[in-house]
Amino acid sequence: MANNNDNFDHVIVKKPSVGQRMFKYRYFYLMFIPVAIVLLIFYYWPMLGIRYAFSTFKLKQITLRTGPDYSIGLGNFTRLLSSDPFHAAFKNTIVLSFINLVLAMVCSVAIALLINEIQNAWGKKIVQTVLYLPHFLSWVVAASIFMLILSAGTDATGADTSNTGFINAILLQLGILDKPVDFLTESKAWPTVWYIMNRWKETGWGTIIYLAALSSISPDLYEAAEIDGAGRMKQTWYITIPSIMNTILVVFILNLAKIMNVFESVFVFYNSLVYDVSDVIQTYTYRVGIVGNDYGYSTAIGLFKSVVSLILVSASDIISKKIRGYGIV
Amino acid sequence: MKKKFNLINPQYAPRSWFVVFNTLFFIFLMAAMIIPIFKIFCDSMVNETVYGLKLIPKGFDPNTGKEVWFNTIAYKRIVTDPGLYKPFLISIYTTIMTTFLGLLISTLGAYVLIQKDMPGVKIFSYMLLFTMIFNGGLIPTFLVMKNIGLLDSLWAVMLPMSMNVYNLVLMRSFFEGIPTSLFEAAEIDGCTPMGIFVKIVLPLSKAALASIGLFFAVAAWSEYFHYVIYIKSSSKYNFQYKLRDLFQDKQESDQGTKINVNTLKSAAVIVSIVPFMFIYPFCQKYFMTGVTMGAVKE
Repeated sequence: MANNNDNFDHVIVKKPSVGQRMFKYRYFYLMFIPVAIVLLIFYYWPMLGIRYAFSTFKLKQITLRTGPDYSIGLGNFTRLLSSDPFHAAFKNTIVLSFINLVLAMVCSVAIALLINEIQNAWGKKIVQTVLYLPHFLSWVVAASIFMLILSAGTDATGADTSNTGFINAILLQLGILDKPVDFLTESKAWPTVWYIMNRWKETGWGTIIYLAALSSISPDLYEAAEIDGAGRMKQTWYITIPSIMNTILVVFILNLAKIMNVFESVFVFYNSLVYDVSDVIQTYTYRVGIVGNDYGYSTAIGLFKSVVSLILVSASDIISKKIRGYGIV
Repeated sequence: MKKKFNLINPQYAPRSWFVVFNTLFFIFLMAAMIIPIFKIFCDSMVNETVYGLKLIPKGFDPNTGKEVWFNTIAYKRIVTDPGLYKPFLISIYTTIMTTFLGLLISTLGAYVLIQKDMPGVKIFSYMLLFTMIFNGGLIPTFLVMKNIGLLDSLWAVMLPMSMNVYNLVLMRSFFEGIPTSLFEAAEIDGCTPMGIFVKIVLPLSKAALASIGLFFAVAAWSEYFHYVIYIKSSSKYNFQYKLRDLFQDKQESDQGTKINVNTLKSAAVIVSIVPFMFIYPFCQKYFMTGVTMGAVKE
């Protein structure tokens, strides 16, 4: 008879209890403490402050130490829904980020397709290095560069061309303009300049994800298409584009979820003369809250923005699950 | 099939013409990326009031009355003026500190999150991910800073920046690539969790540390808005803030020093780019690792 000890079937491995496992991992809880402290203080504590959205809370309440006055209830929200600057800011947020998003998609996909056609490995590397570079400059630097090259100069009449920027100098030289234009204080020109600055900074970086998708297309598909007599255009249209369509959609949806977040690129680039086309929700919140010290009302604006963002993210998550089988967070 | 370059032969011509136009297109595109920066570089070395279309760093210096190449008067001003070099030092300090704290928090957090058996680890990871989709907003965060007395302290800038959920998740994906058998073996040999972390996890993720460290460094160097809201005293501004300040300063306060305002502005832009330009060619692969990793895993 075989020795029963060789057979471990009867041995039941008992899963350690929660307490035992917590004891086993005790050092890991210690390690998580720094993370938890930063997380709780800077991310979760502010969430408690959302209650200020339902209060009157201004500098007066702080100096008198009375604390926020909750008697107005939803008053801040009725106020913001009937406020013209808020409507303008909401409209600008949607318009600026949506147009920018579409431009980003079109430019990055087109340029990724063209980069993919570069056969010379060195050439490809140089092109990529140069195109990615502006992404790493801060928005302050990008805005500063654009302000300098777009500068109209100290004398807008054109008689004195002191400090006239590069772009104005070119346009004057070509005779397109007869006097320098200050693009950054013209409501008509500002959005265009802002889109160009965004494309200058981010287009190259945006191609990375499409290039990754392009490199994963099987070469067999192209060989088969070539044997079938399809030209380059047809190959692009019937193989390349459909293959990266999923990526394009997912990137588009991910960015659609972030549409309310447009902020720093505007904040460093706008000025009081173009608020009508450039003021976005976050800059408006900043001016009302930090500059104007109206904490209650600006928290309400912030909450409105967060809720809209949350809805957009959830919607994107659902769509993303439909397209690629898993969500975005 | 061998691709031949021939602009006339109809068999190869369409492709060859495409190659020509594609090359020209990218030369144009690279010029569009580089010329704005190069123009600022040239202007920073020309102390004239009229720059026009000049794309060489050579110009007439009204102070000496001569044509000079590479006029460094504006850079000398930045190096000697405490109002300009101190912000630069603050930038260096906050960049180093934020990168260090950021890596500390990301690695610790990621190391805890890969412990699948640990009670509560799911809750930790949901708590982290939730902050990606919802937050208290600008004003409540500002009021918290005010309550805990961090207003006008550099910690108000460095601490929130050191906790970046995206980077933490990225770090976790790197750590997940380490074979668990290594941890088990170390555990059997009597290594403590902290020992495994220091002796196994960190040495095996040097590439990840470089990538994510660079992300933190670039973000910290570029930070501007936190200074606007939290920092009040001018001795604590970083270089980005100072740069922005120069551009918002309407009064032409530099008449006395004989430096054209725009020359100084241009030089300040270049100074804030230079540290990055030095490391960019060497570190590009680390930037790329991080991004493609995130793109695949996310």
